[in-house]
Amino acid sequence: MPVSVRTFQGAEEAERALAASRTARYFGGGTLVMRAVNAGDQAFDTIVRATDPRLRQIQMQGDSVVIGAGVTMAQIIASRDAVFLAPVAKVIGGPAIRTVATVGGNLFAASPYGDFAAALLALDAKVVPVGGTPVPIGDFLDARDREPRRIVLSVIVPRPRDSRAFRFVKVSRVKPKGVAVLSIAALLPTNGGRVSGARVAYGAMGGRPVRALAVEQALEGHTLDEQGIAPALSAATEGINPQTDALASEWYRRQVAPVHLKRLLLDQRR
Amino acid sequence: MIEFRKEYFADERDDTLNEIGKPTQRQDMLGHVTGRSPFFDDHLFDGLLHLKCLRSPHHHARIRSVDTSEAERMPGVRRIIRARDVPHNLNTLLSLMGFGLDDEPMLADKKVAYVGEPVVAVVAESERQAYDAIAKIRVDYDVLPHVLDVEEALKPGAPSVNPTYPANTFTYHEKYDHQKLRFGDVEAALRQADHVVEGRYQMSPIEQAPTETCGAIAAPETNNRYVVYTSTQALFFSLGTAAKILKLSSNRMHFIGGTVGGGFGGKVDSIHEPMAILGCMLTGRPVKFIWNREEEMQVGAPRGAERWYITDGVMNDGRIVARKFTGYFDSGAYTRLSSYAIIKSVGHLPGPYTIPNVSADVYCVFTNRTPATAMRGFGITGVDFAIETHMDKVAHRVKMNPIELRLKNAYLDGDMKAHRRLAKNTALVECCQVVAEKAKWSIGPEYRAMSSLKGGGGERAAIPHTIIDNRGLARPASGLGSYQSPPAPGYTPAPAYTPPSYSPEPQPVRPYEPAQAAPPPAAASPTTTRPAGNRFSSISGLRRR
Repeated sequence: MPVSVRTFQGAEEAERALAASRTARYFGGGTLVMRAVNAGDQAFDTIVRATDPRLRQIQMQGDSVVIGAGVTMAQIIASRDAVFLAPVAKVIGGPAIRTVATVGGNLFAASPYGDFAAALLALDAKVVPVGGTPVPIGDFLDARDREPRRIVLSVIVPRPRDSRAFRFVKVSRVKPKGVAVLSIAALLPTNGGRVSGARVAYGAMGGRPVRALAVEQALEGHTLDEQGIAPALSAATEGINPQTDALASEWYRRQVAPVHLKRLLLDQRR
Repeated sequence: MIEFRKEYFADERDDTLNEIGKPTQRQDMLGHVTGRSPFFDDHLFDGLLHLKCLRSPHHHARIRSVDTSEAERMPGVRRIIRARDVPHNLNTLLSLMGFGLDDEPMLADKKVAYVGEPVVAVVAESERQAYDAIAKIRVDYDVLPHVLDVEEALKPGAPSVNPTYPANTFTYHEKYDHQKLRFGDVEAALRQADHVVEGRYQMSPIEQAPTETCGAIAAPETNNRYVVYTSTQALFFSLGTAAKILKLSSNRMHFIGGTVGGGFGGKVDSIHEPMAILGCMLTGRPVKFIWNREEEMQVGAPRGAERWYITDGVMNDGRIVARKFTGYFDSGAYTRLSSYAIIKSVGHLPGPYTIPNVSADVYCVFTNRTPATAMRGFGITGVDFAIETHMDKVAHRVKMNPIELRLKNAYLDGDMKAHRRLAKNTALVECCQVVAEKAKWSIGPEYRAMSSLKGGGGERAAIPHTIIDNRGLARPASGLGSYQSPPAPGYTPAPAYTPPSYSPEPQPVRPYEPAQAAPPPAAASPTTTRPAGNRFSSISGLRRR
């Protein structure tokens, strides 16, 4: 069947069109959808896209930055308001991919993709569906594959008070732009030198970005030095179920996760 | 930063080199950096059709029936190609060199033996229409038990993967189920050794992953010929293969290659050209067949997996007196180039060391995995990984400096290698010395004073008393030839490879006589006469003697 493309001005109209057809796919930046089109994927015959300007905006809202779902990685890198996310956006794909890959698309990318979503999870972002109320990103990811298909309008990302408190690493075997063996995002606010309210998230360590709750608990009240992080390292993969794929086995991911977590927590250059 | 150690072998070189040591621009560099190099896919044709394959979703299955009726009615479909449309639907690449039996269909007919094996090809106006039509083809498979592990495949009762070789092993010299190497008496030497060090080494398949996936465009040309633009890295190999499969005289095909968007061995297996030409012959229109990335990864023939068992007999002073290999090459479902990789591999054993007693049994094993092929130094790199890892293990056992262990056992100019060629231009000693120096790894003065030019030959050039056996005589292949059809007209197969015959009696030690000119001591025994046919050279395959 030939593939048809339907373009709407408003995100709401696009959502209605998407909801009305089981064989329609929403087009964010196309890095996943167009690959499927080129490979002759028979699961869909309609591409729905929206030119809504709200999808392409980045704006401040109090202590948070609101990023349109259609904002590309290249736009993030160029944005002053989202500068804390630039190190994350810089390691998504190569330059060509970054000019089209979107923040919203990354929320739906299955492992081993979705590193940007892992960063948003650590930052405690909220996801705003079209015509809906913001939902915490963790809840969004939990429901991602089950709930009726919604279009995401934007994400609300609280800016870290201390820019050094947010750290991100993407581990890949091909440098500088290989697919992730795993990625780690950590928000590590400190109070008097001790961690208070840490959020740590993994990418490519399961079917979707996941919080490392055991690591967060083990860091609470500890200092970020060899001794202080030791309990967190031993809990590095507690409650985590990494996948085995072409890039790495579950065993390998379990072995290397504490190594990279250690370097991240100690802020060591790799 | 290149550093030349001109003090080495100074008298072997006249030092009037015009290229080495001087910057030279690649001839294709300007085209590449300006984006003007023409690749096969840059050629445009009016009315170009696209060919795509329906591929097996199973590791191993009998094909009960194929229903293409709905696909034929799909928009844009110009032709559905089945196994019966292929003029000579059984081939093995090395048959062009008279080595091995035809064992691989271009399109599967009775059964599929690996995931991704092509079953039906569809030629349509667009890629999308070809994919859409493929989705409408119904294949009824009778799923068979499969085997994915080389040693499992050799056990009695294992599923038989390849009808041409029902016992799952390639047949060497029309006689053995493995390639044999016998040099000296390994078992006796192992009994006398101070230490016996064993190891098992496993390598995974490696995909060459070229930037340009494999593909070809075939178009009708004047005078009843076909012009073929192809990504092949072996143009005349591809031409010969296409001629054989299509039963088409090679002068009716005009092959144009040249720019290869990355090959690394993965573009030697000529499957795309005959498929594209067949599509062109059946439709009368230009046809392109190019793999997508997933196909390149799934069915593109990789460097095969290898498993090696090594047993060394070692004396307390670090001398390795015996080395025994058992090797298993995972050929996947069909032969491709694995059989030849083993010939290369066995010629390389026991690595760059002079060991007086060496034996090897190396099996080319068929499993229900993607057929394996060439990749940069194939047949050598895998076993070298095993050998060098094993050397470290030996060094650890006898508590020796690992570089000194290598130097102690290094082959020297004039030494006899296990495949009965004299070693020359060895230079392992010098390499080890420089590596030790660069790595700041201290080695004793006696090792620093060594030279690959001194101490070789003499006793070390002798072929030892060799114990030989007939273990592994291949089971008679009952199904052999059942798939074979008569050769295509216009296709002349190369003369069959005639193996040297082994004499079963133990042979006396024969010292090397350097004064004798011409024929080097090559045969297994002095009573063996060398056959007049083709022999493998270590580098480029066959050469005529």
